[in-house]
Amino acid sequence: MSVASPTRGEAQNRSTRDPVLEALGKHLGAQVMIEQTTLTGMPVVWLPRERLLEALAFLKGLPEGFTMLFDLSAIDERLRSQRVDLPPADFTVFYHLVSLDRNRDLMLKVAIDEGDLSLPSCVSVFRNANWYEREVWDMFGIDFAGHPRLVRILMPPTWTGHPLRKDYPARATEFDPYTLTVAGQDTEQKALQFDPEAWGMQRERAGSEFMFLNLGPNHPSAHGAFRIVLQLDGEEIVDCVPDIGYHHRGAEKMAERQSWHSFIPYTDRVDYTGGVMNNLPYVLAVEKLAGIEVPDRVKVIRVMMAEMFRITSHLLFLGTYLQDLGAMTPVFFTFSDRQRAYKVIEGITGFRMHPAWYRIGGVAQDLPEGWQALVQEFLDWMPKRLREYQRAMMENAIVRERTRDIAAFSTAEALEWGVTGPNLRATGCNFDLRKQRPYSGYDQFDFEVPLGTRGDVFDRGQLRIEEMRQSVRIIQQCVDNMPPGDYKADHPLTTPPPRERMLQHIETLITHFLQVSWGPVLKPNESCQMVEATKGINSYYLTSDGNTTSYRTRIRTPSFPHLQQIPALMRRGFVPDLIAHLGSIDFVMADVDR
Amino acid sequence: MTYTLTRADDDMAAATDRYPLGERRQVEDPVKQQLERNVFTGKLDEVLNSVVNWGRKNSLWPYNFGLSCCYVEMTTAFTSPHDIARFGSEVIRASPRQADFMVIAGTCFIKMAPVIQQLYDQMLEPKWVISMGSCANSGGMYDIYSVVQGVDKFLPVDVYVPGCPPRPEAFLQGLQLLQDSIQEERRPLSWVVGDQGVYRAKMPSQREKHRDRRIQVTELRSPSRL
Ligand code: SF4
Repeated sequence: MSVASPTRGEAQNRSTRDPVLEALGKHLGAQVMIEQTTLTGMPVVWLPRERLLEALAFLKGLPEGFTMLFDLSAIDERLRSQRVDLPPADFTVFYHLVSLDRNRDLMLKVAIDEGDLSLPSCVSVFRNANWYEREVWDMFGIDFAGHPRLVRILMPPTWTGHPLRKDYPARATEFDPYTLTVAGQDTEQKALQFDPEAWGMQRERAGSEFMFLNLGPNHPSAHGAFRIVLQLDGEEIVDCVPDIGYHHRGAEKMAERQSWHSFIPYTDRVDYTGGVMNNLPYVLAVEKLAGIEVPDRVKVIRVMMAEMFRITSHLLFLGTYLQDLGAMTPVFFTFSDRQRAYKVIEGITGFRMHPAWYRIGGVAQDLPEGWQALVQEFLDWMPKRLREYQRAMMENAIVRERTRDIAAFSTAEALEWGVTGPNLRATGCNFDLRKQRPYSGYDQFDFEVPLGTRGDVFDRGQLRIEEMRQSVRIIQQCVDNMPPGDYKADHPLTTPPPRERMLQHIETLITHFLQVSWGPVLKPNESCQMVEATKGINSYYLTSDGNTTSYRTRIRTPSFPHLQQIPALMRRGFVPDLIAHLGSIDFVMADVDR
Repeated sequence: MTYTLTRADDDMAAATDRYPLGERRQVEDPVKQQLERNVFTGKLDEVLNSVVNWGRKNSLWPYNFGLSCCYVEMTTAFTSPHDIARFGSEVIRASPRQADFMVIAGTCFIKMAPVIQQLYDQMLEPKWVISMGSCANSGGMYDIYSVVQGVDKFLPVDVYVPGCPPRPEAFLQGLQLLQDSIQEERRPLSWVVGDQGVYRAKMPSQREKHRDRRIQVTELRSPSRL
């Protein structure tokens, strides 16, 4: 297993092999770049902050360039002990770029000093950096010079402190118990009041006043605690400002306190309609750090259950999407199908929504006796239902008229905002990680990647019906070809370790006890895993400092950029179109605010 | 049966007052007390109370309000396989002003708490609160800076439904428990009758009630069979 710090010679060698790094080196001067070897599967390059914008613009402008800013966040490095050969840093800000044409990634890192916590904002290069930079400001207190409006995004406006700093307490019980007084209620509500001037908005145009409509944080079509303030001229949306953070559960901070193993249940609750689909990127990233290769049976079981959840999530989408368009009944149909899916999920994992069923190095238990019949019953049921949905809903003239060419965007726009998953594929862009970068054995399956053409509300709905068909196909292949073997990897870091091993002598008992109580210790390194989750690309970027807990866990979720894109799409649109668009994005707030 | 008496304050709330507002104390059944004073009006009171309560408990209109994962299981209870209409609660209201009870289904965030309080205040009496899921009950697995450790830190909760998330059936059971407790309630029958206090019955703890039966279980089903 390689260790976090390469010798300089190695770094030089590697960059001469990599054409992108070579070009970047030629552009900036190779001496300013320091390459870091990690298990992330992409080149990681440290740059001085003065050269950051130049480097980002250069990479974006390359032929087949890195056009998507996939992720941007920071690490508080002050307590990190294993930092051999890395540039000195109190905080690190990282930029994760993706080039779809090259199908590869690149990470840039910038070290900053505690005394001077500031960076140039890269909003001029990547528009979607806006929210990410606000999040870094909110969580770490790092300033971005030139940012259009650097205010808190996840925490309330009245908050003090920056929660992801290492010196900030994690637990609510470390603070005074929460109380709400009459005066406090007043202050908080006033702080939430929308101030158009602060956002550079006019109050009137040509003598007629705009109306500011506050939609949310609790609104039936906002799909959870999401707020969006609309500047209206009649029915027309002149501008809008989404406001998030009403669902921030501090999942990233939580990861710094739970053991590698006991964080798994928290991942379930990130995209809470995705169930074990959320476990997948996390355990895969941990397994990379631990160097575990899982048996084929584990891979296929994982794929099968993840696809089951893709179906339940898409069914929920379909019901609520049509409900937002005004159709009452579909949700009753799709939920009764979900009930059938849960019968399978519960039979196999023992739980409905949040099974937390994947383990580091395997799954919690083997498939129960008779699982084939259970799954098959569901697989036989679904196709005719999907045909019915297709006929009754998507071929319905009213639905078509209502959704065609509404909130449409092109592939280029999608990439600019970091849109991934079905919403990206609805624009006709063929990028599905299960095909492009197969993980967990997806390359062994036969399935197609459905694509849209116009990228509108209709395509986004239609595409998900197709995706469910493909998921049914994948699950069928799992049932037909389930490999024999173990449901856990034979590896010392597999957690929890096989019980039979414990019962031999005192030595094995102690090892077992430590691994179950403290959890496994992972060597210092960094790893990253992306998966094609139900709503788009979900990734976990883990930093281990050689401990029983993660030093930093960055969770990149697809819904965050999807919501950031809303104003760009909805300007000059109508209010009912906004509702249709919200229905078609398929987001849950936990997947936005984490 | 003992009751909790909540009396609305006639004065404006002071800025430093904490939510939940209003004074609470433990009292005896008010109808029983009156019974001793006047047998006839006492009986009448009892009959009227139970008729009104019967009507209330069988047409509870829920407020369409969800915070996170638990809300998905709550909506599952609204759809056909579980069919909440069997209990008279299918009329989901999108406005708090038309709703009878609010289910805090999900995590109660510090950023959301003032909003929840406002929505609760907008509901008209009589109103009730069901806390659904570990997060709303106590913070659950989220002992973290951004989460209120239980919605009862500022709202008066009538029924707690445990689970993460509770199954739809558990939510329906919670609803029925709420109905049971509404049946026992004593509210002013008119704004001129009685002392205008709200008397909520102290219902027996479910955990205690079922403990004996539950600890009888010694063998659990093996997960290797369906
Ligand atoms: S109790 Fe569990 S399921 Fe419910 S909101 Fe909290 S984490 Fe989600």
